[in-house]
Amino acid sequence: MSKRRSLTEAQCVSLAQKLLRERLCHQKLPDRPLALDSQYKHLLELLRRTAVHGESNSVLIVGPRGSGKTMLLGCVLRELMSLKEAQKNVLLVELNGLLQTDDKIALKEITRQLHLENVVGDKVFGSFAENLAFLLEALKKGDKSSSRPVVFVLDEFDLFAHHKNQTLLYNLLDVSQSAQTPVAVLGLTCRLDVLELLEKRVKSRFSHRQIHLFSSLSFAQYVDAVRSQLSLPPDFPDPKFSDAWNHSVTKLCEEKSVEEILRRHFNSSKDFRSLHSLLFLSVSRVSVSHSTLHEADLLEASRLISADSKAIILHGLSILELCLIIAMKHLNDTYDGEPFNFQMVHNEFKKFIQRKSHSIHKFEKPVVMKAFEHLLQLELVRPVDSGVCKVQREYQLMRLMLEHGQVMEALQRYPQCPTDVKQWALSAFA
Amino acid sequence: MVKRCFNPDINSNNALIDPHRSMSISVEGKTEDATVSLGQYILIEGDDDDNPFVAQLRKLYTDGRNMPCFSKKTAVVQWFVRMCEVPQNKRKLLGRDPHPQEIFFYQDRSCDNEVDGETILGAVQTAPATPRTPRHATPSIPSRSAPARKPGNVLEEARARLHVSSVPESLPCREQEFQDIYNFVESKVIDGTGGCMYISGVPGTGKTATVHEVVRSLQQSAEQDEIPHFHFIEINGMKMTDPHQAYVQILQKLTNQKATPDHAAALLEKRFSAPAPKKETTVLLVDELDLLWTRKQNVMYNLFDWPTRRNARLVVLTIANTMDLPERIMINRVASRLGLTRMSFQPYTFKQLQQIITSRLNRVKAFEEDALQLVSRKVAALSGDARRCLDICRRATEICEHSGSQKNGSGLVGMSHVMEALDEMFSSSYIAAIRCASVQEQLFLRAVIAEFRRLGLEEATFQQVFVQHQALCRVEGLQPVSVSEGLAVCQRLGSCRLLLLEGSRLDLFLRIRLNVSQDDVLYALKAD
Repeated sequence: MSKRRSLTEAQCVSLAQKLLRERLCHQKLPDRPLALDSQYKHLLELLRRTAVHGESNSVLIVGPRGSGKTMLLGCVLRELMSLKEAQKNVLLVELNGLLQTDDKIALKEITRQLHLENVVGDKVFGSFAENLAFLLEALKKGDKSSSRPVVFVLDEFDLFAHHKNQTLLYNLLDVSQSAQTPVAVLGLTCRLDVLELLEKRVKSRFSHRQIHLFSSLSFAQYVDAVRSQLSLPPDFPDPKFSDAWNHSVTKLCEEKSVEEILRRHFNSSKDFRSLHSLLFLSVSRVSVSHSTLHEADLLEASRLISADSKAIILHGLSILELCLIIAMKHLNDTYDGEPFNFQMVHNEFKKFIQRKSHSIHKFEKPVVMKAFEHLLQLELVRPVDSGVCKVQREYQLMRLMLEHGQVMEALQRYPQCPTDVKQWALSAFA
Repeated sequence: MVKRCFNPDINSNNALIDPHRSMSISVEGKTEDATVSLGQYILIEGDDDDNPFVAQLRKLYTDGRNMPCFSKKTAVVQWFVRMCEVPQNKRKLLGRDPHPQEIFFYQDRSCDNEVDGETILGAVQTAPATPRTPRHATPSIPSRSAPARKPGNVLEEARARLHVSSVPESLPCREQEFQDIYNFVESKVIDGTGGCMYISGVPGTGKTATVHEVVRSLQQSAEQDEIPHFHFIEINGMKMTDPHQAYVQILQKLTNQKATPDHAAALLEKRFSAPAPKKETTVLLVDELDLLWTRKQNVMYNLFDWPTRRNARLVVLTIANTMDLPERIMINRVASRLGLTRMSFQPYTFKQLQQIITSRLNRVKAFEEDALQLVSRKVAALSGDARRCLDICRRATEICEHSGSQKNGSGLVGMSHVMEALDEMFSSSYIAAIRCASVQEQLFLRAVIAEFRRLGLEEATFQQVFVQHQALCRVEGLQPVSVSEGLAVCQRLGSCRLLLLEGSRLDLFLRIRLNVSQDDVLYALKAD
């Protein structure tokens, strides 16, 4: 107890930050997946049957990005491995469509993770064909009751469907549908149309079992989730600090402005990954001198997250570049979105200088050209046909990659924008 | 000078050749003797003192005359070269940077593998060359500590029986096909001639299972000496990485020989065309035939040409999905060799599916009659795939098991369970996905439809949809989103394929299409 009391404020804060960081960005597994009870039970039961009874199965876990597919699987596997019967029996093979970009690599990875006999150290030798024959032979020799079940986890399952002939998928699913080594093939994907990607013989071998993870959270549950994500656990070493922290979090969540921010986030996306990035940004503002989470932290984090990326680029442009953007906006208005070239923009700009401007110098054409090229590099302007053209640079057709509203808003916020430029932008036509 | 003596205590009988396991040598500059033993890498005196040779010690012996002082010590070695001895211009052939201590196997007839024991200078530390695949690795999955648990109750028993992998001894509803194939193969085996047969049908109609059953029962009658013995080999186009691997696999299964594809083709060619007095008939099953297609079609050509040879005694059964495959992808000389012995497996009708399930369950009472009928009718209407039917029944038993505790019904799988399983496996998930989407995502979908209506097209750019989206936001009383957020919403819908999008580099000008029908979207959005 004496040790517990001796924790200083700074230690508490850093400990709390460490805990929350693990939760928010290291994707630490929760004790129990939130609001996914039926899916959790289904998957656990399925894997348990593979582990205990030696029943082969295949299943797809489908849900949008950030909906907790990997988390669900992680929780299920953790639970499965804590069963005494499954612990020492199950072999786990994890593949990812982004890493195993073709069947050759995937096959080596499977052989390596299964520690088959053609593995030397950590390397797999032999040709692709030999490896495939070896693996299939190994799987074929096994049988339902005596060999260890293998759980294949295929992350980014849809990418495996793009491999040549879908050989790997066919073979894995074929094993799952025949009396060989018991396997469970688990695919994780965010594509709803993933079955349409499969060839018909591969599709026929798949059991058509799909587990969907669509979040049907209400806003109240969402706020609850936020509260529990931010709260410190009961076994936090300094109860005084954790009580104070949890109390402040509860109060924070009841605050009107915070609720507004959360509502806005909830409306734009229900996935937990974007929520985590919001919470992480606000938690990272906590320090010793500022030891509880305030409403302003969340406000700032939300402002950072929802800022328009192009508005920030516009903010850093020079007056000349801004003028060119305005000229292009006028061209877009006049010619109804038709593409333009540099010469047209320059003419428009010259007209403005001659008639109206008192604050902007007359720039030489090469200087204007340079500014235009800068915009091109920032991809605020893009050529219509990106191919290498023989057209001179001044006459190459371009498009403005900005919305009307974005330009106007940038002008409002631009620091010390000359009045005549503003007026020119506001005037309906040049 | 280096002085050497053998360990006299090891294996010192008076044989003519006296083998040893190790030998102690004294090394220059060190007081204690060092020992070299078999398998170790050693240095052997070279042409000059600075560059000794490297070798691995294989055997050590003395010509055992009784007086040890006169005996000649001989070592049998295998030679290696160090990287520094490899000529400069050949180093690049290795294709990687070797470890400085790495050594390479060296074989040259001019080298004598037996060297005088006197010339051994000492042991050397080496990093051996890249290890090679073990030659005789046995493919196997480790076995489990305790055997798998046997099914405990009726539902578990039913589930085990309904698993696709537990193929019954005799397939119901395929008696006619069985008989046809049986007669074909039997007559060829008895006559000692060869022939081809093409079997087609959609997946899950029992093609491979029927052929296996035919072969099983033919093998039984061969064992009872009713028909001559024959050899059965099976290859599968999908289980090969390349069509030419077919030769390798056939050869390996025939003669247990390993060869490259070209060599294997030559050996098979020789085997099938040369006359041999006592030759068994070979029955070759080629599954997934369409995967053996190459541009020149030589693999298919050979497979169908060998049976026509007088001495080949080869019966080729080929299986594929499409009925018109020979006409569609084969050139004339290949299609004509395949011949006209064709058979097509029709999709199962609902009665057949029902019979299949009943025969599998075989007196295990787990299903209500109506439930079975519903499954078979539904599957027959969609595809006639027996695998699908079995999978749905299996899922229904699971659902029944879960609900069993609450309802306390008859304990049988009833209509409601089957309905739920059918719903789970057949229904499209798009509508559920739209219903569970966030508010902005739903608004974006609505904006897409509004823009489609305005344009009268099925395609719009992001910019156009975004204008609609902002208008809708205002109508709904929500804060309008920025372009970045709008684009993120659009990308999220695209990644789960509710929308079809172009590359995101196009930014405002990326074109959007719906992947679902407009009616589905409207239905999903309206129903709440």
